[in-house]
Amino acid sequence: MTEEITPIGSIHVSPRAVATIAYHAALETYGVVGLTSKNLVNGLAHVLVKDPTHGIVVDYDGNEINVDLYIVVEYGTRIKSVANSVINSVRFQIEKALGMPISNVNVHVQGLRISYLD
Amino acid sequence: MLSDTPPVPRQGKLHGEPIDGQCLKSLVEAGLTWLRTNQQIVNSLNVFPVPDGDTGTNMVLTMQAAYDEIGKSPERNFGKMAHAVAHGALMGARGNSGVILSQIWRGFSRSLDNLEMMDGPALVHALTMARDTAYKGVVRPVEGTILTVSKDIADAAQNALKKTDDPAQILEVLVSAADESVQRTPELLAVLREAGVVDSGGKGLFFILEGMLRYLQGQSLEAAVATIQPLAAMNMENALEAIEPGQDYEVVVDFHPTQPLDIQDFYGELEKMGTSIQVGEGDGIYRMHIHVSTEKRYYPIDYVMSLGTITKVAMENLLAQMEQREEPCGGSQAKLPQVTIEPGQIAVVAVAPGMGISRVFNSLGAAGIVEGGQTMNPSTQEIIHSFENLPTDKIIILPNNKNIILTGKAAAELTVKKVAVIPSTTVPQGLAAMMRLVPDGDFDQVVQEMTNALDDVETGEITWATRNVEIDGVEVQEGQIIALLNGKLICASYDLEQTCLTFLQKAHAEHFELITMFYGNNVSKAEVYKIVDRVRTEYPRQEVEVQEGCQPHYQFIIGVE
Repeated sequence: MTEEITPIGSIHVSPRAVATIAYHAALETYGVVGLTSKNLVNGLAHVLVKDPTHGIVVDYDGNEINVDLYIVVEYGTRIKSVANSVINSVRFQIEKALGMPISNVNVHVQGLRISYLD
Repeated sequence: MLSDTPPVPRQGKLHGEPIDGQCLKSLVEAGLTWLRTNQQIVNSLNVFPVPDGDTGTNMVLTMQAAYDEIGKSPERNFGKMAHAVAHGALMGARGNSGVILSQIWRGFSRSLDNLEMMDGPALVHALTMARDTAYKGVVRPVEGTILTVSKDIADAAQNALKKTDDPAQILEVLVSAADESVQRTPELLAVLREAGVVDSGGKGLFFILEGMLRYLQGQSLEAAVATIQPLAAMNMENALEAIEPGQDYEVVVDFHPTQPLDIQDFYGELEKMGTSIQVGEGDGIYRMHIHVSTEKRYYPIDYVMSLGTITKVAMENLLAQMEQREEPCGGSQAKLPQVTIEPGQIAVVAVAPGMGISRVFNSLGAAGIVEGGQTMNPSTQEIIHSFENLPTDKIIILPNNKNIILTGKAAAELTVKKVAVIPSTTVPQGLAAMMRLVPDGDFDQVVQEMTNALDDVETGEITWATRNVEIDGVEVQEGQIIALLNGKLICASYDLEQTCLTFLQKAHAEHFELITMFYGNNVSKAEVYKIVDRVRTEYPRQEVEVQEGCQPHYQFIIGVE
């Protein structure tokens, strides 16, 4: 996907690599307790899967990079603040690693996890 | 309480009084007030690269929301009040640290259902729940953050319960545990260590607890003027910029107070002697900084000597320092006074090819200066570095060279901050744009205004020709002195003065008002004066300003506007 041609060769970065960065950034964000598949057919069984691209869709149309994250948030946190933190953190980490601007980071809150019942 | 502990005399407000919902309200208010008093300290601890902006502000807003929820409530039940606090914090949680803080409150309130009065064991249990809840909220807890501090507080509370079950005494233990925990955060988190700061969220939590304790002890919560900064955060260069007439000496004293320092009194006494007072503390050592007049230069030392043991005294004559700074070119390493940027303001980063030009940009309010220009283009990294630590996300870059515009644009793409690059190709253009800066203005509008200003000025660059060439119909021999008007070669001669005059003629300087000449480091002052005198004679109706630019390669950079 993302490409850079230099005088001594070219550099390709796969969407999977970008997704891995997003995965780690998301899981270190406070309030995020897991990533889940885009289609919630299997319920929350997929929460906390180890595949580092699960729940993340990276889209590159030759011009713009868009990242979609499907997350599960801890019940009782302010979802909007958590989602904002995810967007900031994911964008920052990818841009830092890749040196390319990200057009959009979209966060989809697919579910909440309840650790305690209030 | 264990019978063998000797009774400790206390005047705490809690002593003997029930801790009910109203008491919690006062404590929350105290925590909020003290946090707000110290908000800037917490904000200043922000480490790039943490994309989550202003921790102090976020935590204050979260606590404010929590307090708003209970501010008018007559509820006396402690548990119900705690639930209301948690609810308010949740609704108002801002930023990462705000969310964590709201979780801490949520956990805290969880175990207190309908508890009428708070007591020691209930407090300790609630803090344990607070820690557990906080840790539940993230898959990979990062240690060395507010989370660690919440854990250390809970541990300390459990230990304290073995000695006392008085909540006020436990709170005292918690505050010192939080303090120690915050000091340890750099050991746990590399980014903090590298930046030389402690964790901001943890520090914020400490201030909340300390505020509660100060309230109980009847101490002031509004000591916004008389604050003690962390020693590491005390930036002496910062203080240098405000030199008031009559305050010629800067005195800095490090000391160990023999008795706990009353910071209000301390400030009060110092204010009688001088200005620009700053007090820092670290590891029990206090540092006092003050500007005083020549006659009073020993007063602060005598005063501090009466308070404790002096370990170090530094005294500098600021006037002499000022004069030194005005020496030719002052060395490229000379430090510029720091321009203070408030959060949310627009900050400008300018690329300047010489110390003198840097100084001019600095005096006009550029918050960041990157050295660079023709043949010494700065890297993207250097540009990012110049603004990444500024406490605002609105940045304007003035490249002042056509080869650096792209670097500036690359820098803009590599940051989460909102960055605009104004395509200034010369120093005079950059300065013209700089004049239009409104730090508190609307970002897009300011960018537009500054971009428009680029056309207001004609730029001349006077330099040596490094080879024989013919461009734009001008024939140039190697070694000749050439003039460029807005980047285009317009004349060449073997005489510097002649080239300058021809340039001004071709730029139609007679139709303008102001001629600014920056002289470079390759031309003698005598020559500069001679040429400037000549220019003044030729252009009597124009104002001619001379500035030391210290730029390499260019004998003169001239702005005509």
